[in-house]
Amino acid sequence: MPAKDICLPKTPLVAIVDDDEAVREALSDLLLVLDVACRTFERAETFMAEFAPDRFDCLITDVSMPGRSGLELQERLRELGSSMPVIFITADTDPATRVRALKGGAYACLTKPVNDEVLFHLLQNAMDHAGRSRRNDGRGPTSDD
Amino acid sequence: MDGVQRQMTNLARQASPGNQTSPVISLEGTELADLSSESVIISDPHGVIQYWNAASEVLYGWPALAMIGRHLGEIGSRERAGIDYIDALLREGRWDGIVFRRSVTGAEVVAVVRQVVRRDAAGVVRDIVEFGRDATPLTETEYLRMDAELQGSLAASWELDTSAARPMLDAIAENGRNGAPVDLNLRPDWVDGLLTATRILAVNDRAVRMFGAHAGHEQMIGQPIGTFWPAESRIVLAELIEQVASGRSQLETRRMVLSGAIRNPIVRVWHSAGPKPPGTLLVTINGAVSDYRTSWELQASEERYRRLIQNLPTALWQVDSRRAGEAFDALKARGVRDIASYLSRTPDLVEHAKDIVRVTDVNRDAMSLFRAQNPAELIKPVRYLFAAAPGLAERVMVAHFEGRRNLIEETRIRAFDGSIIDVLFTVTYPVPPEQLDNTFITIQDISERLNAERQLRKLQADFSHAGRIATLGELATSIAHEINQPLAAIVTNGETSLRWLARTDQNIEKVTQLTSRIVTNARRASEIIHRIRSMAAKHEPEKRLLDINEIAREALLFIRHDIDSKSITLSTTFAPGLPQVLGDRIQLQQVIINLLVNSVQAIVQSGQPTRRIDIQTSVDDGGAVGFSVFDNGPGIAATDLAHVFDSFFSTKDAGIGIGLAICQSIIGAHGGSISGANRPNGGAHFHFALPVPA
Repeated sequence: MPAKDICLPKTPLVAIVDDDEAVREALSDLLLVLDVACRTFERAETFMAEFAPDRFDCLITDVSMPGRSGLELQERLRELGSSMPVIFITADTDPATRVRALKGGAYACLTKPVNDEVLFHLLQNAMDHAGRSRRNDGRGPTSDD
Repeated sequence: MDGVQRQMTNLARQASPGNQTSPVISLEGTELADLSSESVIISDPHGVIQYWNAASEVLYGWPALAMIGRHLGEIGSRERAGIDYIDALLREGRWDGIVFRRSVTGAEVVAVVRQVVRRDAAGVVRDIVEFGRDATPLTETEYLRMDAELQGSLAASWELDTSAARPMLDAIAENGRNGAPVDLNLRPDWVDGLLTATRILAVNDRAVRMFGAHAGHEQMIGQPIGTFWPAESRIVLAELIEQVASGRSQLETRRMVLSGAIRNPIVRVWHSAGPKPPGTLLVTINGAVSDYRTSWELQASEERYRRLIQNLPTALWQVDSRRAGEAFDALKARGVRDIASYLSRTPDLVEHAKDIVRVTDVNRDAMSLFRAQNPAELIKPVRYLFAAAPGLAERVMVAHFEGRRNLIEETRIRAFDGSIIDVLFTVTYPVPPEQLDNTFITIQDISERLNAERQLRKLQADFSHAGRIATLGELATSIAHEINQPLAAIVTNGETSLRWLARTDQNIEKVTQLTSRIVTNARRASEIIHRIRSMAAKHEPEKRLLDINEIAREALLFIRHDIDSKSITLSTTFAPGLPQVLGDRIQLQQVIINLLVNSVQAIVQSGQPTRRIDIQTSVDDGGAVGFSVFDNGPGIAATDLAHVFDSFFSTKDAGIGIGLAICQSIIGAHGGSISGANRPNGGAHFHFALPVPA
């Protein structure tokens, strides 16, 4: 497991939610070698139990899982006002799922198996984006550019 | 009709002319009999005289008044005076022969008589009518021969040619003259020689039936008498032949030993009179048949019976298993009770029985079933019936020993052209008072039925295969997801490893861990593909002992993703320690998958906000292993309840309606039951139960 999050703004933290243990382990190891800290969750519900605004810089989640699905999780986060970037990784090739994800505000929707370069790139961008908006948040309401 | 029988019938006619058929006489209307020149005496079944005509008064000298009410035996002079052969008489309906009586003067009257039994409509003996003529003028030899020939028509009769035995007879005579007579009791070789050299010229039907010749006239004519003569009285016959053929005696009468159908049989041998070549002997065997059915019933019914049997559309064998029965009696007398284990210790006995128990008759269908040309091919020891049925002969014997009425078994026979045929083999054992020599075997060709069953099974397998393919199609997304998970993990693990290897701070430990995860996931993917391939493959159903919980868990692999992706909450309650059931893994998985697919689709259609499927395994009240799927979908419309398992019944727009029909057909083929019902608080409950093998 990656080091415990001690909420230093410079150390971005990624949450991974996937019901498949093998996929979860593989992703967390990938992030480890990419020097990205992460926490893994088996279900949307367990993630939500630990969720707090600004705690995670990015969420990587599967779409379909027992219990609350990835899409529902994203909807819930948006309801809570979170703008945390969400990257879906799914085996589902149905375009409808993809559309629903992106419409729901997903940062990206990747098809399994993912290309590590692509994921890394997306993660960096997402966290930059998240960092910016968080900085913005930190500075107070809106600031153009 | 053969020569002997014709001759004997003629003699009988001479003895009582015009009475070939019984005349109709009643005590009230005996006027005609009063005019007869032949003695006519009517007695009750006990021999008490009821009527005595004028000719009787002339023949015996006794007036009717003196005789009516007396017993016939009271005027006897020697052993035969009245109705001495009542058994034979009742059995045959008539008796012909010589009787010895005393006239009113005390002189012996020898009479040739025919006694006829009259019965009422119900078959109850009413009286006995005797027709008689004077035979006193004949010499003793003449009337004895006449008596023998008269009774010959009611006996098993043989006409034998001893000409080929002449050298042996001469040798025996020569030895006798030289003071060294041959004692046939001590010389079985001479007995065999005589009985082999003596050939059969003719036999009557009774001899064919009694002696089993088992082969019919044609197969007996020209054969040595020794081939057919019962072993226990060979010496008797040889002695009689020797005495008569050598001319030392005109007529020889002897009691003989004869197992089986006849009690106290009497064998007579005499020279044939008249135009027959010298060396021709006539042999008759008389005696009461062991069962009491009368001949007139027998003859009429036997004719019908033979016709019936010949034309029965089932292959039928009549078997004489008395020899086996005797062996069993001996075993029982020795205290053998558990015949099955006795036979397994002494397999020779079974083999021996196959040779001593003989087929005595067969019908047309039996011939065609065995591809035989004529009945004689089948009329022989029963061994051939068991050629392709291991252990059957033993089981047939056990059933016989235990006194069972029937044995029915599906087995195989080998026809004479070598083909093996699936048959239903039924043995019906005789139970007293039935004739104990009649064991019936019917053999029914069931190859067409088995073939149809095989085709049906194949069709069922094809049908369920088609259903599986359709289901796999519906579940393609779910299945792809299951395979994709490990593949995705493999790719990511691989890429991660490469990244570690490319770093300056190589972490071998981590790379090792990642590589072993790659292996594990690759195995998992391969396992899933294997399962899918089994599900997609066409296979002959194969019954094995299975754990239904495991079957259910495996089935979930195919549909879990489908359930998850439709946000249905699945709960499972697997009862621990369930007994195993006998079944086909793939087909049972198919049933579970089909039931779950149905529930998922019903729930999705209903638009229910909270979606639940519960599956449970259990032991039912009757001890069967049960599997249940509960859903909270819309349930089954009342009007559809009766049709859900019908083929092509579907409530779904795109459904072809074979899913549940296949489930039912699979569970039915497993000897189980399946049902669908509505739950009290909404939703459907499908349940199947499978028997637990004993």
